[in-house]
Amino acid sequence: MLRQTVRDLTREIVEPQAMAHDESGTMNRGLLRKLGELGLLGVTIPEADGGAGLDATASVIVHEELAYSDPGFALAYLAHALLFVNNFYWAASPAQRAKYLPRTLTGEWIGGMGMTEPSVGTDVLGMQTVARKVGDEYVLDGRKIFITNAVEGDVFCAYAKLDERITTFVVERGTPGFSTSDKIPKMGMRASTMGELIFDGCRLPAGNLLGREGGGITNMMRNLEIERLGLAAMSLGIARRCLDVMVAYSMERRAFGQPLHELGQIQRYIGESFAKTEAIRALTYGVAATVSPDSRNRLGTDAAKLFAATAAKEVADAAVQVLGGYGYCAEYRVEQFLRDAKLIEIGGGTIEAHQKNITRDLTRR
Amino acid sequence: MKILVPIKRVPDPALKTKVKDGAIDLTGANWVVNPFDEYAVETALRLLENGEAGARVAGAEIVVVTIGPEDAAQQLRSALATGADRAIRVDAEDKALDAGVVVAALVQIIAAEKPDLVILGKQAVDGDANQVGQMLAGKLGWAQATFAASVELAADQKSVLVGREVDAGVEYKRIGTPGILTVDLRIVSPHSVKNNVTPATFAYPDGPRYASLKGIMAAKKKPMDVKKLSDYGVTTTPVTREVGIELPAARAAGQIVADIPTLVKKLADEAKAI
Repeated sequence: MLRQTVRDLTREIVEPQAMAHDESGTMNRGLLRKLGELGLLGVTIPEADGGAGLDATASVIVHEELAYSDPGFALAYLAHALLFVNNFYWAASPAQRAKYLPRTLTGEWIGGMGMTEPSVGTDVLGMQTVARKVGDEYVLDGRKIFITNAVEGDVFCAYAKLDERITTFVVERGTPGFSTSDKIPKMGMRASTMGELIFDGCRLPAGNLLGREGGGITNMMRNLEIERLGLAAMSLGIARRCLDVMVAYSMERRAFGQPLHELGQIQRYIGESFAKTEAIRALTYGVAATVSPDSRNRLGTDAAKLFAATAAKEVADAAVQVLGGYGYCAEYRVEQFLRDAKLIEIGGGTIEAHQKNITRDLTRR
Repeated sequence: MKILVPIKRVPDPALKTKVKDGAIDLTGANWVVNPFDEYAVETALRLLENGEAGARVAGAEIVVVTIGPEDAAQQLRSALATGADRAIRVDAEDKALDAGVVVAALVQIIAAEKPDLVILGKQAVDGDANQVGQMLAGKLGWAQATFAASVELAADQKSVLVGREVDAGVEYKRIGTPGILTVDLRIVSPHSVKNNVTPATFAYPDGPRYASLKGIMAAKKKPMDVKKLSDYGVTTTPVTREVGIELPAARAAGQIVADIPTLVKKLADEAKAI
C-alpha cells in the first residue's frame, strides 16, 4: 500500500512538474512540503517521535517510486529525509529532537548535510573544516561543497574536526558566521540544488553539538548504509523508467518495415536492460532487508550502490540509444535520466570508494 | 451519522488494457479502487469532518464494503488508510457477480448496518454499467440523487442538498436520510462538499486525498469483517453474461490533401461530414 500510495502521488503530482524543474534547475519546495503532510519525510523515524516507524525497505520503496518520475527531486528528498532527518534523529538528544524534528518532519524547514569539502571528498578523514571550543561555544571555520539543498536549506548536519576528531554539529541558517553560496550549475539532478556551506568564525552554542565530541564518525557510519540504499533505490527507479520508455517506443516505432523490437540489435538493449533492472531490484531489496538501526551491512550496501549506479546509467544510455534522435532530445526525458543517473556513480560515495571498501573488507584477516 | 461506501476494485485505468482470447487479460493486473468510488470515500470523509481542523465530527462513522476475492482486501485497506473506520469484505469471485447480485448483498448489509447515507461512485470504470446505486435505491425504496457534483449536509443531518450537472445547467435536489448518493468527478472539487461544520471558506485540494503514512499504518489495525454471500442469505445468481470483448478498430491514418477544393470534396464524398 505504501508503494501504491507513493506511485499514485508520483504519477499525479510529481511527474507533471518534473521537466520544468530540470529545465530551470530549481527544487520544488512546495512538493517537499506536500510529502511532509503525508508523513513521508519521517519514514524511518519511530512513531513515538512523530515518524512512521518503518524500516529501510520502506525508505527504499519511497526513493524508488519518486525517482521513477523525478530523480532530481528524489535526491533533494534523500538529502532532507536521510542525510538530515534520519542522520540527525539517531544522534540527537531529546531536547535537540524537540527543537528540530517537528519543523523538518513537516517540510517547513529543509535539511541537508555537509561532509565533502573543496579538496576532500572520498578521503573524508582528511577534512579541513575545524571546530574550536571557545568558552561555551564552538567556533567553526571551513567550507563544504557539493551540498544538496544548500541553497534552500534551513538546517544542516555538518562535520568538522574538533582536536583532530571528527564531530557533528547542527547548524541553522542565520547563525553568525555561517552562509551558503549560490547554486552550483550541474549536469543532472537539476531538480535539486547544490551549493557550498561556508563557515567563517561560525559560532555555535554548546547545544548544537550532535552526539558527543569526536562522535562524528559514528554518526556518519550509522547513516551511510541507509543513504547508499536510498541512492541504489533511486537507480532502480531510473532504470525502471528508462526500460518502460524503451519498450513502449520499440513497439510504436517502425524501421525497415517492422516494429523496432523485432530488430536483434534493439532486443539486446531491451533484454540486457531488463536483466540489469531486475538485478538492481533483487540486490537493493535483498540488502535493505538486512539493514536497521540495530543491524549493519556495510559490505552489502557498498555492493548495492556500486552495482546499481552503473547498471542504471547503462540502462538510461541504452534507452537514449534505442530512441535515437528522439532519445537525445528532451521530450522523452531519457537524456535527463542519463544525466541524473551519472550522479549516483559519484555522490554518496564514488564507485571507486565502494570498490575500495569492498576490497578492504574482503581482504581483512 | 453513519455512511456506508461500497467500493469496487478495477484494473488500473491508467495502464493499457490487454485483450486476449475475447476477454480482458487480467494476469498480473494492478488492481486499484474504482476512481468514482474513491470520490465516494472522499465525499464521505468531507461530510463527516471539519476539513480545516482535520478532525472527525464526533459520533461519525464510515464503513467501506466490497464484494470480491481475498485480494480485494487491499482496496479496502486503501480506503481505511485515507480515513474510513471499518471495512466489510464479502467473499466472492468476480465471475459470480453482476449488479443484481451486488445489490442483493448490499440490501442485506444495509439492513444490518443501518447507515444514514450510502454513497457510491456513479459507475465502475471497468464495466461502466452505472446500475448499482439506482437499483439499490429501488430495492430499498430510498430516495436517490445520482451523479452528484456537489452536496451539502443540512445542519440537522436529516437531509442533503445535491447539485447535479444536467444539460440545461445544475439541478438541485434535496433528499432526506436515509438515502442513496452516487457521485461524479466534480464532487472532489475544492468547494463541492459542505457540511455546516467545515468553514465555507475552506478549500480542499482538488481530487481525493492521499493516504498519509500514519493512515497506512493505522489501516492495518482497523477492523475488517469477512463474510460470505450466504451469510446474508443471498441466493441471487448473475443474469448478465459476458459475450466477448474486443478492442475498437484502430483509427485509419490521416491524409494530407493538396488544396481546399480536394478537402471539401473528400469531406463530402468520403467522410460524408458535409
